[in-house]
Amino acid sequence: MESWKTNRAVFWVLSLPGSFWLGFFFLTPLALIWILSFGEKTGIITIDITWTLENYIRALEPVYLEVVWKSIWISVLATVLCLALAYPMAFAISFAPGRWKPLLLMAVMLPFWINLLIRTYALIAVLRTRGYVNFTLEWFWEKADAVLTFIGLEQLELIGARFEPLPILYNNFAVIFGLVYVFMPFMVLPLYANIEKLDKSFLEASLDLGAGHWRTLRSVVVPLTMPGIVSGIILVFIPCLGSFLTPDLLGGTNAQMIGNVIERQFKAANDWPFGSALSFLLMYATFGALAIRSVLSGRQSGMEI
Amino acid sequence: MAELTTTAPHAVRSAPRRRRWFRRNDIGPLEYSRKIWVQLFVGATFLMLYAPIITLVAYSFNDSRRNVVWKGFTFKYYIKAWNNDGLFEAFMNSITIAFMSTVISTILGAMVALLLWRFRFPGKAAYEGFMALPIVIPEICMGVAMLVFFARIGWPSGMPWPLNLSAITIAHIAFSFPFVAVVVRARMSGFNRELEEASKDLGASEWQTFWNVVFPFMKPGIVAGALLAFTLSLDDFVITFFTSGPDTVTFPVKVYSMVRFSVTPEVNAASTLLIVITVIATLFAMKFQAPDKGSAH
Amino acid sequence: MMKRPHSLLRPNRRNFLAGTGAFAVGVSLMPYGALSAEDKLLNFYNWDTYIGETTLADFGSATGIEAKMDLFADNDELFAKLKEGNPGYDVIVPTNDFVERMIEAGMLENIDHALIPNMSNLEPAFQDANFDPGRAHSVPYMWGTIGVGYRPSKVEGVPASWKWLYDSDAYAGKIALLGDGLTVIGHALKYLGYSLNSTSAAEIKQAEELIIANKKNIKVFADDNGQDLLLSNEVDITQEWNGDILQVMEEDDDISYVVPTEGGVLWQDCLCMPKGAPHPENAHAFMNFVLDAEVGAVIADYIQYATPNGAAKAIMDESYTKNPAIFPTDETLAKCEPSIYIGEAANRLYDEAWTRIQAA
Repeated sequence: MESWKTNRAVFWVLSLPGSFWLGFFFLTPLALIWILSFGEKTGIITIDITWTLENYIRALEPVYLEVVWKSIWISVLATVLCLALAYPMAFAISFAPGRWKPLLLMAVMLPFWINLLIRTYALIAVLRTRGYVNFTLEWFWEKADAVLTFIGLEQLELIGARFEPLPILYNNFAVIFGLVYVFMPFMVLPLYANIEKLDKSFLEASLDLGAGHWRTLRSVVVPLTMPGIVSGIILVFIPCLGSFLTPDLLGGTNAQMIGNVIERQFKAANDWPFGSALSFLLMYATFGALAIRSVLSGRQSGMEI
Repeated sequence: MAELTTTAPHAVRSAPRRRRWFRRNDIGPLEYSRKIWVQLFVGATFLMLYAPIITLVAYSFNDSRRNVVWKGFTFKYYIKAWNNDGLFEAFMNSITIAFMSTVISTILGAMVALLLWRFRFPGKAAYEGFMALPIVIPEICMGVAMLVFFARIGWPSGMPWPLNLSAITIAHIAFSFPFVAVVVRARMSGFNRELEEASKDLGASEWQTFWNVVFPFMKPGIVAGALLAFTLSLDDFVITFFTSGPDTVTFPVKVYSMVRFSVTPEVNAASTLLIVITVIATLFAMKFQAPDKGSAH
Repeated sequence: MMKRPHSLLRPNRRNFLAGTGAFAVGVSLMPYGALSAEDKLLNFYNWDTYIGETTLADFGSATGIEAKMDLFADNDELFAKLKEGNPGYDVIVPTNDFVERMIEAGMLENIDHALIPNMSNLEPAFQDANFDPGRAHSVPYMWGTIGVGYRPSKVEGVPASWKWLYDSDAYAGKIALLGDGLTVIGHALKYLGYSLNSTSAAEIKQAEELIIANKKNIKVFADDNGQDLLLSNEVDITQEWNGDILQVMEEDDDISYVVPTEGGVLWQDCLCMPKGAPHPENAHAFMNFVLDAEVGAVIADYIQYATPNGAAKAIMDESYTKNPAIFPTDETLAKCEPSIYIGEAANRLYDEAWTRIQAA
C-alpha cells in the first residue's frame, strides 16, 4: 500500500466523487436526524432541539433491550443459515463452466428483482397451513397411510389418524426463513467474487498432497475466502437486524424486532426523536461490534474486514 | 459435455494417466459443479428460491380477486395490469432509476474500493467507517433522513421526466455505492500488487496500468457489485417511499400500497411481466457482452 | 405555486400507443377549459381499491382535469409523508381521528363550501362533525365499522362478543387480531367496558394485561389481511374492517361478519385538501364530483362501504342499502363509538403498551 502523498493526483481523483456524494447526500441528511435524536416533541409536528438525552435513556429501558436481544439472535441464526446455503452455491457457481457462470449468477439474482413484498406474499402462499409445503407433506402422508393400510398396520396409527399440517407460518421459524430468503444474494455475491479469484492451484496442491476434499475446504478454501465470508456476514447480518417487513408479515404475535419498533416511532407513534435515538443506538452497537472484530483480527477496520 | 472439459484445464493436469477417450465423461477433482451432491444441493437451494416465484406466476392466471383459492384460468389480470397506466408508469420509473443508480454507484463504489485498496492516508479508518454507514443504518431511519433533507433544502419537485426522479436516484446511489465498494474491495484484496508495480516499471501510465492490469482483475467484483446495486435499487421500498412524490411513484411503492389491502392477481401479473422483461433484457445484455467473456478470468 | 409541465418523455402507454395528439385535442375540447387558470391536473392520494373503477376517467371527461391517483396503505403513512410538507397532493383521504390530528397540526386547507354545491346530497347526520366543526376542512367519503369476521361452520353460533378474540381459548390458534396497536388495545378497552378512546394509563394497562394473557391463543396480529387469513382457513375468527370481510364474503359463502355487542369503532374517511395543494380549484371540483348522486352510487357500489351520500343511496339497490354488514342497525350503531384523536401523550401510552404486548 502506498502513501497518498506518492501520487496525489490519483488519490484526489479517486477520493473526491465518493466523498462528496457520501458527505452531501448521506451524512448531511443523517446529521439532521442525529440532531433530531436530541430533540423533544412539543406538538404534533413540532420538535424542539433541546439537546436532551431523554430519548437515549428511554431507549435503554428493559423492554427495548429485550427486543434488541431478540433481534440479534434472530439475525445471527438467519446469517448462519444464509452462509450455509450461500457458500456451496457460490462455490458451485465459481467452479461451473465459464458459459454457465453468468447464467447461474443471474438465476440466483432473479428472484431478488421481484419486489420484496410480493416475494414475501408468495412465500406465505408456500408456507401457510394450506400452502404447498403442507400439501406436499399431506401427499406423502396419504401415500404412507395407504402403504400402512395395505400391509395391515393402520390400527397402530403410526403416523397419526389424520394429517396434521405443520404450523410453519407466523412464528420465529418463518421469520428466519423469510430473512434467509430475502438476503441470500447479499451473501452469494461477495462469496462468489471471492471464491472466483481463488487460485485453483492451491486446491490442486492440497488434493495432490493427499488432503481430502473436506480437509481442503476447511484448511485451504475457507481461510482463503475469509474476506468474502466476512463481507457476506456483514452485508446480511446488519440489514437483518434492522428489518421490519419480514417479521411483520411472516411472524406471529411475538415477532417484533427492533426494526418494527423504530418503524412505529416514525409512523404510528409519531415520535421521530425517539425513533432517531433508537436508530443511532443500533448503529453505534453495530459499529462497536465491527470495531471489536477488527481489533481482534488485528486489521485496520471497516470495509476490508 | 465437450465444452465442460475444455474449460477445466486443471482436471486434465491432475489426471494425466487417464486414457484420452475416457476423459470426456470423467469428473476431475476440481469439477465440483459436476459432482452429484453439489448439484443436488444447488438444485435444492434453487427450488427454495423459485418455489414461491412459481406460485406467484401460477396465481397470476387465477380467476379470483385474491390469491387464496384457485378459481380457474384467465388472462384478464394481464390485460388489466397492462391497461393500468399507473402501474406502467411506476414500472418505467423503477427501471430508469435502477439503471441510472447502478451506473453511477458502480463507478463511485469501484473508485472508493480502489482508493482504499491502494492508498494509506490519515484518518483512513474513520473514512472506512463513514463509508460503512449506509450499510449499517436502518432503512427507515435513512428514509426519514432523506425526507427531511429534501424537504429542508427545497429540492425542486415537479420537474419534467426523468429529472423528477433525481431525488430518488440520488438517495439510491447514496445507499448503493458503499455496497459496491465492499464487494469490489473484497475482490481486490486478492490482487497481487507486484503486477501493478511491474506494469509501471515497464513504462505504462497510470491509466494504462489501471485499464490493462487492474481493471481486468476487478471485473468480476464490478459485475457482482453492479448486480447488487441494481437489485438494491429495483427492490427498495422504504427509502423510496419517503423520497417519492405524486409523479415519482416507483414499482415497489405502487405495489406496496396495492398488496397491503389484498394481493390481487393483477399484482402477480405485473410482477410476472417484470420478471419476463428483466430476463429478456438480461439475456440480451449477456449476448452482447459475450465476446469478452473469457477475459473475466 | 408548483408547476408540473407534462413532459412528452413521461412514460405513459397512452403516449406510446396513441401518440399525444389525440390526447391534446381531447383536452382542448373539454368544458370549463377556459374558466380555470390552473393546470388541468389533480393529484389524488387514496387507499387502494377505494374508488370506482372509472371514476377518475369520468371526472376527466366531465371536467377536463386529468386526475392521477397515488396510493397509501394506512393513516400513519399518510401522516408521516405529509409531515415535512406536502409533496404535491391535492386531495387526500384520512380517517376522522387523523383529520382531527391534521387540523390541529395545521396541515389541512379550508374548504370553500360555495364550490361544492353537492354537499347538500349528504345525509343530515354527515353535514357536520365533531372532529371538524362546520366541515371546514373535510368532506365525508365513506364510513364503516370494525367487527368480527368469522367462519360459521367452525364457530359456534354468532361470536357477537370481543370475548372470543380477547378472553377465551375456545378458538385457540385460530384467532387473528389487527396489527395496529391503537385498534387492538382500543377494542380490548371496549370489551372491558371502557371507552375506546380512553387516555387513562390504568385502563390501558388493564387492556394490555388482558391481551398478553390471551396471546397464546392468538395466531397473528394481521397486517390488514385478516380477510385473506379467513379465506385461506388460516384462522376461523378475525378482527377486521367490515368492507374487507364483505369482499371475501362474495368469494366464500362460509364467511360472515358481526359487530360485537360491546360495540366497535365507528370510523369515517374524509376527502381533505392538504396545505399547499397545488390545484385547489380542481380539488374542489373533484370533491363536488364525488358527492354527485350518480357518481357516489357508482363508487359505493364498487367498493361496498357505506356512503354518507343520501342522494346516492336513494338510487341504489336494496342488496346494498339493506345489507347489515354495510349499514349496521341503529341499535348496533348506538353501541359503537367514533375514534377520536387522543393527543400525543396518550398516543405514546398506547405505543409503549403495544411494544410490551408484542415483546411479552
